[in-house]
Amino acid sequence: MAGMSPQDFLLLGPEILLAALGLILLLWGALADKGAGNRACSTFAFLSLVVTMIYVTVQHMSLEGPTRILADSFILDGFSFVWKIMVLLAVALTVLLSQRFVEDGGYRPGEYYSLLLYAATGMMFMASGFNLISIWISLELMALSSYIMAGYFKRELKSNEAALKYFVLGALSSGVMLYGMSLLYGGTGSIQLEGIASAIAAAESPSLLVVMGWVLLVVGLLFKVAAVPFHVWAPDVYVGAPTPVTAFLAVASKTASFAILVRILYQGLPGLRVDWQIILAAVAVVTMVWGNLAALTQDNVKRLLAYSSIAHAGYVLVGVLALNEIGLWAVVYYLLAYGFITMGTFGTVILLERKSYAGETCEDYAGLASRSPFLAAMMLVFMLALTGIPPTGGFVGKFYLFAAAIQAGWTWVAVIGVLMSAVSLYYYFRIVVFMYQKETTETTPEPLREPALAGAIILCFVLTLVLGLYPAPFIEFAKTALLPLP
Amino acid sequence: MFDWLADTHILSIVAYIPLVGAIFIIAFVRGSDAVRVRNIATGVAFVDFLVSLPLWFSFDPDGELFQFRESHEWISAIGVRYEFGIDGISLLMVLLTTLLGVLAILSSWTAVKERQKEYYVFLLLLQTGMLGVFMAMDFFLFYVFWEVMLVPMYFLIGIWGGPRKLYAAIKFFLYTLAGSVVMLLGILALFFFNQDGLLGHQGMGNEASFSILQFHEIGAQIPAGLQFWIFLAFFVSFAIKVPMFPFHTWLPDAHVEAPTAGSVILAGVLLKMGTYGFVRFSLPILPDATWQLLPWMAGLSIVGIVYGGLVAMAQKDMKKLVAYSSVSHLGFVMLGLFALNGPGVNGSILQMINHGLSTGALFLLVGIIYERRHTRMISEYGGISKKMPVFATYFLIITMASIGLPTLNGFVGEFTILVGVFNRSWVWATFGALGIVLGAAYMLWMYQRVFFGPMDNPDNESLEDMNRREVLYILPLVILCFWIGLYPKPFFRILEKPVDYVVARVNGDSVAATAALPGSVAPTAPPVALAEVEE
Repeated sequence: MAGMSPQDFLLLGPEILLAALGLILLLWGALADKGAGNRACSTFAFLSLVVTMIYVTVQHMSLEGPTRILADSFILDGFSFVWKIMVLLAVALTVLLSQRFVEDGGYRPGEYYSLLLYAATGMMFMASGFNLISIWISLELMALSSYIMAGYFKRELKSNEAALKYFVLGALSSGVMLYGMSLLYGGTGSIQLEGIASAIAAAESPSLLVVMGWVLLVVGLLFKVAAVPFHVWAPDVYVGAPTPVTAFLAVASKTASFAILVRILYQGLPGLRVDWQIILAAVAVVTMVWGNLAALTQDNVKRLLAYSSIAHAGYVLVGVLALNEIGLWAVVYYLLAYGFITMGTFGTVILLERKSYAGETCEDYAGLASRSPFLAAMMLVFMLALTGIPPTGGFVGKFYLFAAAIQAGWTWVAVIGVLMSAVSLYYYFRIVVFMYQKETTETTPEPLREPALAGAIILCFVLTLVLGLYPAPFIEFAKTALLPLP
Repeated sequence: MFDWLADTHILSIVAYIPLVGAIFIIAFVRGSDAVRVRNIATGVAFVDFLVSLPLWFSFDPDGELFQFRESHEWISAIGVRYEFGIDGISLLMVLLTTLLGVLAILSSWTAVKERQKEYYVFLLLLQTGMLGVFMAMDFFLFYVFWEVMLVPMYFLIGIWGGPRKLYAAIKFFLYTLAGSVVMLLGILALFFFNQDGLLGHQGMGNEASFSILQFHEIGAQIPAGLQFWIFLAFFVSFAIKVPMFPFHTWLPDAHVEAPTAGSVILAGVLLKMGTYGFVRFSLPILPDATWQLLPWMAGLSIVGIVYGGLVAMAQKDMKKLVAYSSVSHLGFVMLGLFALNGPGVNGSILQMINHGLSTGALFLLVGIIYERRHTRMISEYGGISKKMPVFATYFLIITMASIGLPTLNGFVGEFTILVGVFNRSWVWATFGALGIVLGAAYMLWMYQRVFFGPMDNPDNESLEDMNRREVLYILPLVILCFWIGLYPKPFFRILEKPVDYVVARVNGDSVAATAALPGSVAPTAPPVALAEVEE
């Protein structure tokens, strides 16, 4: 095991910087006379994230090959670089989406945005975590920040309920995961992913301890990505949480959780791939089927999107279990596309919300096409992208995911996947039907008045199309994340 | 003439003129200015038609199989190229599309009164999607256009349609999408077979590619078991589009609810994409599976012919009658295709064009009378030939074209198909002939009930005959019906090579197929032409 050196802390620069900026933001918000302004705080948070992104990129380019630091607790490689950029992007978009919510609720902006930055720090650590302890602690840093944010509507019963549910079930799953980790440590004598992998490879057949350990660990991870049957928390939390936080949970938190899922499965448990492939295949299929079927009957847009996000986790799992090169970069590509699409969708939902929970049923979208044609057109593109219809990033992403499954011989999983994505058209188009085909008495247009929010939606819209029409550079980016295949 | 066209991006230009027009309308024309929107849309479609016309004159029937080719890198990671090119089959489909595009827009001038800006934008977007489908030489690109096109069609039905438009539109979208996604898996299977193989089958070891010609090349070497599954995957998608029995149920709904222009394009072009898919992909790429499933394909086609005809006879609504007649006619086209010989495939492709012309015209005519009386019920009419002589004449010509009267286009197509089908099996040909009889029965019976007899409905007293615009936009279709009926030679001439090629491929005669490929017929052409295709 490599020792620690002071230089290792230099390599943690981006994470340390972001955490420090988060603390500064918190102090600034608390100490400034009447509390710092919303716009100033969000700008500060946004810039912090951008600076960190640049720092991460520069650092990645200066490193030669994978670098382990702090006694192999963390690893800096192409994989960690790509996923860090993805989560930072997702959090940066969340900041843009949050301005109005903080304004309307009269919350202390310093508090809220610093929580986002802490969560982002946790997610960056998750992307480069290389032993069970560091992975678990960084996961908890993200989770604790999310629990608080989910309950940010302090006086709304629904939000309180969401936060409590999320906290109790989240803590339970973290406990299950930790228990699994301890069993795995007991069975293999190592907490470091490579040590676990070689111990498993050395044993003729995995001991009962190891089996229980990895199963519990994977269950905990599947809970975090909201895969069926560990998804029950998601719909209630997504509906109850403030919409920007919902977007954060659906995109950033899910992406980061996939990062550790892939890291642990590919680098910690490659010897057991035959076993976990079967489990993931079963989970992926029920997730795709149930996520899509349950969404069919939803009338509340946030709930509908919650089930849709469950279904999307199922598609991504297909790429994870394919265990080939296409599958691995397809997962990255898909999560990237899914991130922009979902952020754009929630951005539109936020734009239509009047106060707290209004603007959430499909009826609120009636006649949007005649009131604000541009916004409706963007929402239409997001819905098409979620369904997976070209020329959008959602199509290209799904194409690669199912290509990976076909190449790996998981044809039946791919068949169910594509049929379910055809089914999903029905519920995504419920919103489209209301936007384009229902009349409304309301005639006031929905102006794209807040620059941050409007900018975020337009950016997501453009990127959704670019990812569909010119995927080449993004594929190159995704390929940076390739891990050695087991 | 127009030889210089070969070096331009003429196909891209034809395909994207409508898209550019749509973007222009979105950006620069106010929705309240409906007349302006309408005029610009008409102009754009007309210009597109004019630009596509030189293709007909400069297409060389003796030249390379695919002409006017364009090829650019697109997604190099998986070998996807942006590749356009047309052979004789595509050429006819492209021209049919640009022509019907203009007529569809002309027919909407007074029929569509609401949300006109969006309406014309969607029509133009649809146009681009359809043209791309017929021009694409890369399977990925093909698929992109194939799906993109569904969106504007959904809205045309869903916003400007009849009373059950919501249901009809989503049904159309869901049906066709479900088919397409299954086809996607078939495409992926081909893609991996072309490289390292899949599912335990040894692959060809080629570079990653989605080139359709490349797939044609390797098709015969795909093991029969794999061919079978890929064929089924394609079949679901194309059969829904055609539509073949029993996948036809979306069609009557979509047709009845769609506005006139939507029906015209649906019947005239969209359905042809299904048959085009069979000719372009299923037959040449999967010959073994085609032969293996031949009885099923022919059986379903025959059921479609007879069933479509019988149901059409029972319809009370004119549009629904024409819709079911499409099921029957398309069954005929499929039957000709699955004769798998020269005359059968030739006739079937010509009949695709014929059906586009005559059924397109029928929908336009039904639209004209619907605009006046707001009903399509046959029983509401009777004896209106006295009030609308020009309309009655037009309708009669088109009816005759549709039922296959000699000197009109339908006869040429049906006769050629029957020749081909008879060569394959006299039993099939008998059923085919039965379909023609049924077709004559329901069309003539409708004609009789609508135009002859006493005029006992007072509402029909005030019917006005067609105005000049209406006369003008149906005229080209009538002229074409006569042209193909009297002198089909230029059409067969254009189809000669591509049909030989498809027939050779499906009959496992790869030498003959190779001979049909670029250049090898013209003695001056260098022999490297084949290598160019494979690159």
